[in-house]
Amino acid sequence: MRFSDLISETLHSLTANKVRSGLTILGIVVGIASVIAMVAIGQGSQASIEQSIQAAGSNVLTVMPSAGGQSGPGVRMGAGSVESLTREDAESLAGLSLVTGVAPSSQGQGQLVAADANANAQFLGVTADYVKVKGLTVASGSFITGRDDEKNAQVVVLGATLAEDLFGESVDPVGKRIRSGNMLLTVVGVLKEKGTSGFTNVDSAAILPLSTCSRYVTGSEYLSSITLTIADEEQMDAAENSVSGLLLQRHGIASADYADFSIQNMADMLETVSSVTGTFTTLLAGIAGISLLVGGIGIMNMMLTTVTERTREIGLRKAIGADSSAISAQFLAESVTLTLIGGALGILTGWGIGALAASLLGASAIVTLDSVLLAVGVCAFIGIVFGYYPARRAASLSPIEALRYQ
Amino acid sequence: MGTAVIDARDLTKVYDGAGAETVALRGVTLRIDEGEYAAIMGPSGSGKSTLMHILGCLDTPTEGAYLLSGRDVAELDDYELAELRRTTVGFVFQAFNLLPRSTVMRNVIMPMLYTRVSHDERDDRAAAALRAVSLEEKLWTHRSNELSGGQMQRVAIARSLVNDPSLVLADEPTGNLDTATGDSVMDLFARLNAEGRTIVLITHEPDIATRTRRVVRITDGRIVEDAATADADIRQYGNGDGADSAVSPRVGDA
Repeated sequence: MRFSDLISETLHSLTANKVRSGLTILGIVVGIASVIAMVAIGQGSQASIEQSIQAAGSNVLTVMPSAGGQSGPGVRMGAGSVESLTREDAESLAGLSLVTGVAPSSQGQGQLVAADANANAQFLGVTADYVKVKGLTVASGSFITGRDDEKNAQVVVLGATLAEDLFGESVDPVGKRIRSGNMLLTVVGVLKEKGTSGFTNVDSAAILPLSTCSRYVTGSEYLSSITLTIADEEQMDAAENSVSGLLLQRHGIASADYADFSIQNMADMLETVSSVTGTFTTLLAGIAGISLLVGGIGIMNMMLTTVTERTREIGLRKAIGADSSAISAQFLAESVTLTLIGGALGILTGWGIGALAASLLGASAIVTLDSVLLAVGVCAFIGIVFGYYPARRAASLSPIEALRYQ
Repeated sequence: MGTAVIDARDLTKVYDGAGAETVALRGVTLRIDEGEYAAIMGPSGSGKSTLMHILGCLDTPTEGAYLLSGRDVAELDDYELAELRRTTVGFVFQAFNLLPRSTVMRNVIMPMLYTRVSHDERDDRAAAALRAVSLEEKLWTHRSNELSGGQMQRVAIARSLVNDPSLVLADEPTGNLDTATGDSVMDLFARLNAEGRTIVLITHEPDIATRTRRVVRITDGRIVEDAATADADIRQYGNGDGADSAVSPRVGDA
């Protein structure tokens, strides 16, 4: 049988029963669409989570104070709730060979009062290196300088959101004054919007020189975190070990089990989150896959019914000279055609559902070429697997019995 | 006589039922030459259907040799049997067996789908076959279930001719038709035979058998009479033990 004849015969017999063919295709459409949509949503959220972690820099180590003794007795206190890190610690860490940047910071809460607005904001006390270590960009004005830090200067750099809250969208706040407690802060710069990165949202922060923050906001010389950038992402573990070793030595602690600080490694975190969201995506796809399986069984059901209904036709075709392979090719072609049509519609529908769900959930949906290829492959596979048995059955009918079939 | 189209020697067919063997043919020897027009007659259970299946290469004999156009069927596998059917045999069925939703043309073209005939030649051959059975051209694009019984059987005969078979094998071709329509179909067979076609009819109706040129009577798996129609004792046979199950009710086509 010629290929063009096979196609023509296939379409002819599929259109002979449009409702049944349509419903069978619908089964495949639902299956494929749910797989595509689920994978798209899963991969979309995975990408947005990874993006927000990567925004914080994946070559970054964050050292935070924590109660000693991870496995020790007594009440364990949360990270950041104890005072153990000092500026001297930060300065000594800068001497380590793998460390390219050090940004000590302290945090506090406070009320900011501008000319005609006020806001409750998070204060960040930082040094001049902070902008480089955190990968921030100054939109207008300048950042905190070393000199500001030395002189406890009453200057502030505003996060993008905070600047807008206090001064409105169209006004450049640089040079304006803000009151907070007994400080009168001069705005020296505004940051470009960055989005949440890691644990701090710099967009809504008021950034002060570290010394100013210690004196007027936190009232303490201790730090709430030290952020370190590392030269080489491949050496994050080595860097973490040397940072930990140095701090233990400085704090006079013998064993890492009793450390009064903890180190967070962004690369590790990214890996963990990726694997969690990856599992989540697989789970979603697996559940959607079940409906694909059901669609496949629908195909097999329809093809078996068709074989029974067309027994006499099969007998006739064999009598006039069709061999078994021509008969099975015909039935296989019908089931593969059903799945391919269903698959194509399913990909489009899934794409649509993914985009719609993403816009409703405020996440992103990513339809990758991989998932489309996978869906097409699965379709062809289903068409062949679930069409094979009915096709074999049709081909193996004896022409005499088939012609006699009523 | 000319070349043998059918050369069957001592055919035996035994069906292996569950525990019981059924002997359908007990040594049938039959030779039909090119250009002959023969009827195989017999009551039901006589083995005539089995014989037809073997002659049409739908089945193979348990013992004995069958040569169709010189090829020994016993040596062929399923694929080669299908090929032999495709090229050598044209079937005409009692129930026509047209595809009801397909057009007349599509039905007639169908046997050529399994050959390597080009599209153009296909159309030409189908048209020639439809003209040979005198089917009006305006009906060619109709769906086959829109035709009358006589028209359907003409389409079926046209279908049997398109691959230019050396043997047309018709199983009760008039069984589902009224007498007048049946007569016109028999006229068509007579004309095709006059044009040189080898035709073998399987029938239980004496009226039909008398219109052929040779009658082969089969009873209990044996040939009991094989004579020129003029010499055969058909009437008596027909009125005597010819109580076949008559015409089976017509069912929807394949």
